[in-house]
Amino acid sequence: MIKPKRLLSLLLRFIAFGTTLAAVILMATSHEKGTFFAVSYEAKYTDTPAFKYFVIAYAIVTVYGFLVLFLPPGSPIWRLVLALDLVFIMLLISSISAAMAIAQVGKNGNPRAAWLPVCGQVAKFCNQVTGALVAGFIALITYIILLLYSIYNLLNPLFEKA
Amino acid sequence: MALQNEDKLEVGYSSLQPKPKKWVLLMLRLLAFFATAAATVVMGLNKETKTLVVATVGTTPIKATLTAKFQHTPAFVFFVIANGLASIHNLVMIMGDLFGQKLDYKGLRLAMIAILDMMTVALISGGASAAAFMAELGKNGNSHARWNSICDKYKTFCDHGGGALIASFAGLILMLIISVMSIIKLLIKPKPDSTTVVP
Repeated sequence: MIKPKRLLSLLLRFIAFGTTLAAVILMATSHEKGTFFAVSYEAKYTDTPAFKYFVIAYAIVTVYGFLVLFLPPGSPIWRLVLALDLVFIMLLISSISAAMAIAQVGKNGNPRAAWLPVCGQVAKFCNQVTGALVAGFIALITYIILLLYSIYNLLNPLFEKA
Repeated sequence: MALQNEDKLEVGYSSLQPKPKKWVLLMLRLLAFFATAAATVVMGLNKETKTLVVATVGTTPIKATLTAKFQHTPAFVFFVIANGLASIHNLVMIMGDLFGQKLDYKGLRLAMIAILDMMTVALISGGASAAAFMAELGKNGNSHARWNSICDKYKTFCDHGGGALIASFAGLILMLIISVMSIIKLLIKPKPDSTTVVP
């Protein structure tokens, strides 16, 4: 039968894969068109390089998460997976940090730079982007828990020695 | 005779496994400390004041003084805090390496150093990335959201910010190398010292 350690690791990886996929889909399908008096405006995720970076980074991690789900236990590739987990966590942190910085300016504006907030006009777009960021955040936390769990499993012999 | 054999075995064993030399790690930490400290200081002191004439009443021009400070942007505040914490971390690690070799907690010293290094890498990468995208927004503006670029008005502010960003990215790469080296130190088998009983 599946060992509980393996089951927990598999469950965490599945949650991580699901949330990264949700983040990518939510951000990529965020799209709003409308008219404001006579001015027609359109908001897409491609307007900002930060959101494009977010989609690309999370898409890469989604594919990686999908591939790791099918890795058989006991394979020597798991050490590489540990290293790749760290690298991809860094990528996720960087992309979500950038997306949040730009989203914060979009929501609150920056009066000193004469940048008006845009969330008033494109509320649906803003809500979807917020949803994508929340999903991305949950994915990030899941990956961090996974990394700590893998390190703990790796170092367990060391703990017992001490 | 048996002792000599054991010593030879020990020497042969340790020469098979390459250990990162101590001074390489220390030099890297010093460089990373300087990079992150420079980024913190340059962005922390980033300020530019501009006086503009907004209107002319009769013959006296009315001047308005506008400042660009790093505190106006939360991304830059996060950048300063992240790099500050990273330089404190590096300083503590350097001090621990130089003066506190015997400090240990249940044999978890190397594990704690590795985990703290990873956390610092994560922190710096978040701060540098957010600040980089905000700087790109300030430099190019965003036509879709009707946000004008500010770098043509506040050139020194933008230049200093860019310099701080470059220093932070250099610190990030150095911290990444340091983190990898710490993890390698954690995973190689420790050399048995004279206090352990050899069965």
